[in-house]
Amino acid sequence: MPTPTLTQFIVITLVQCLLVVIFVFVVVPLTVFAERKVLGYLQQRLGSTRVASGHVGVTGWMNRGMWKWGRIPVLSYWRGIPGLVADILKLILKEDVIPAKADKFVFFIAPALSMVSAVVVFAAVSFVPGVFFTFPAWFPLVGGLPVSGGIADINVGLLWILGVASVGVYGIVLAGWASNSKYPLLGGLRSAAQMVSYEVPLAISLLAPVVLTASLNFGEMSTRMAVGLPFWGLVPQILGFLIYLTCGFAETNRLPFDMPEAENELVAGFHTEYSGMKFGFFYLAEYINMTVVAALAAGFFLGGPWLLPFGLQGLLIPASVPFIGQPHAIFFAVKIIFMLFTYIWVRGTIPRYRYDQVMSVAWKYLIPMALANLLLAALVRCFAV
Amino acid sequence: MEHLLETIGRNMFAIFGVMTLCGAAFMVASRSAVHSVLGFLFAMLCIAGCFLSLEAEFLGMAQILVYAGGIVVLFLFVVMLVEMSKKREKEVFQLQSRYAVVAVLVGAAVFVGVFRKVIFGAASPEALVLRPELAQGLNVANQNAQAVSRSLFADFLLPFEILSVILLVALVGAVVLAKTERV
Repeated sequence: MPTPTLTQFIVITLVQCLLVVIFVFVVVPLTVFAERKVLGYLQQRLGSTRVASGHVGVTGWMNRGMWKWGRIPVLSYWRGIPGLVADILKLILKEDVIPAKADKFVFFIAPALSMVSAVVVFAAVSFVPGVFFTFPAWFPLVGGLPVSGGIADINVGLLWILGVASVGVYGIVLAGWASNSKYPLLGGLRSAAQMVSYEVPLAISLLAPVVLTASLNFGEMSTRMAVGLPFWGLVPQILGFLIYLTCGFAETNRLPFDMPEAENELVAGFHTEYSGMKFGFFYLAEYINMTVVAALAAGFFLGGPWLLPFGLQGLLIPASVPFIGQPHAIFFAVKIIFMLFTYIWVRGTIPRYRYDQVMSVAWKYLIPMALANLLLAALVRCFAV
Repeated sequence: MEHLLETIGRNMFAIFGVMTLCGAAFMVASRSAVHSVLGFLFAMLCIAGCFLSLEAEFLGMAQILVYAGGIVVLFLFVVMLVEMSKKREKEVFQLQSRYAVVAVLVGAAVFVGVFRKVIFGAASPEALVLRPELAQGLNVANQNAQAVSRSLFADFLLPFEILSVILLVALVGAVVLAKTERV
C-alpha cells in the first residue's frame, strides 16, 4: 500500500470531513422531522402533515384515496417532509435581530462556539475499524489510496471528545450573558451549572470502558468493547450505558433535563434574544450534540460497527460468519439513528425535572452509581480479562 | 504545494505560539472582563495546539479538558456574576496601571534571568528527557498517555500523591473559608 504524501493526506482528510458533515447534515434535519412525527404519534396525533406535496407525491396520492374511503390516512408518515425546506429557508432568510444593549462580539461568537464544538467532536469518532473504502485508481491526485473509517483515530481520542464537548458550554453561557437580558442570563447560568455537574458522572461512566479496554483510542475501545470482553463484562457495560445515557440527555439539554430553555419558566432560555441563522446555529448544535452522544453510546456500549450490543457480539457471533460477523458502517449508522429515536421517545414519555431535582440526581445518585460501576469494571478487568 | 504544506507543518509550533500570544494580549488589553476570559480561552486552546505540534497529545488534550473545559468556565462564571458595575472596574484598572508597569518589568527581568539559556543559548541537539529509561518499551510518539501514566503512577507516585493531598487541603480550606463567611 503506497504511503500518501502530505498533500494527498490532507485531501483524504478533507474528504473524510466532508463525508461526516454530509452524514450529520442528512441525519439532523431528518431527526427534526422525526421528532415532530414521532412525538405526534406518541401523543395520539398526526404530527406535521400540512406542508406536503399533495397531488404529486406518492403518499399524498395514497392518502387522498384513503380520505375518500372515509379512513384516517395511516400512510401519512412522510407528509410534512417538504416543511423541512420551509424551515431551513425561514432560518436563513429571517431578519437577524441584535438587541441594542447586547455585547455584539460575544453575541456573534457564542453560536459559532456552540456549533464548532459540536461538529469537531466527530474528528475522533471512528465509524469502521480499518479501511472504509479505497479510491479507484482513476481518481485524480488520491487514486488507489485507502480512506480510513475515522478522520483522526488518535491515541487520546476519548480525551479529545470530552475536552471539546466541555468547550461547548461556552456557547450557551456566553449567549446567555451577551444577550443582556434576564431570562437568557438565568438560562445560561442554569446550563453552566447543569452541564459542569453532569460532565463529572459522564466522564466517570466513560472511564469504565477505558478500564475494561485499557485504551483511550475510540476505534480500539469500540472494537474491544464489542468483541474482546468476557461474559462478566456485560454488567458494567449495561450499567454504564444507562448512566451514560442519562448524563448524555442532560449534557445535550434535552428533556427531561432541558433546564436551560425550559419554555414555561424562561421563555426560551439562553437563545431568547437570538433570531435568524444565529438561532439556527444553536438549533443545529443541539441536534448535532444529540448525534454525538448517540454516536458515543453506539461506539462504546452498543457495539459500534458490529451487530450486537454490550459485547454480546464477541460472545455469540464468531468473526467467520459472513456479513453479521464483520463490522459495517451501516450497523453504526443504524445504532445512531435508534439512539436518536430514543431521545424523542424519552421526550414524549418523561416530564421535566425540577431544577433542584436535576442537580441532586447528578450529585447524589449518578456520581456514586458511576463510581460503583467503575469499581465493577475494575473488578472485571482484574479477575476476568 | 507539497513544499508549502510541509513548511506550514514544520512551523506549526510557531504559528500556535503567536496565536497564544495574541490571545494573551487580547486578554490583558480588553476592558470587558468577559472578553478577557474569551482571550484566555483562546490562549489556552492555542497552548493545547502547541502541545499537539510537539507530539504531546495527552498533554494537549489534558490542557483542553482541564483548562478550557474546567477552569476557564469557572472564571467565566465568576466574572459574569461580578461584572455588574462596569464603572468601578474601570477605575480599578486605572489605579493599577502604574504598579502594573513595575510588576511587568520585574516579571520580565525574572523571566529573562531564568530562561536566558533557553532563549539565547544554542538549541540542544536532542530533546530533553528527564528519565529516558521510563519510556522503555513504549513508542512515546503513539503512546504518550501510557508514558505519562507510567511516570506518574510508578516512578513519581509519592510526589504525585503529595500534590493531590495539597490540592485537597486547598479545596477543603476554600470550602471552610466560604462557609465561615456566610454564617
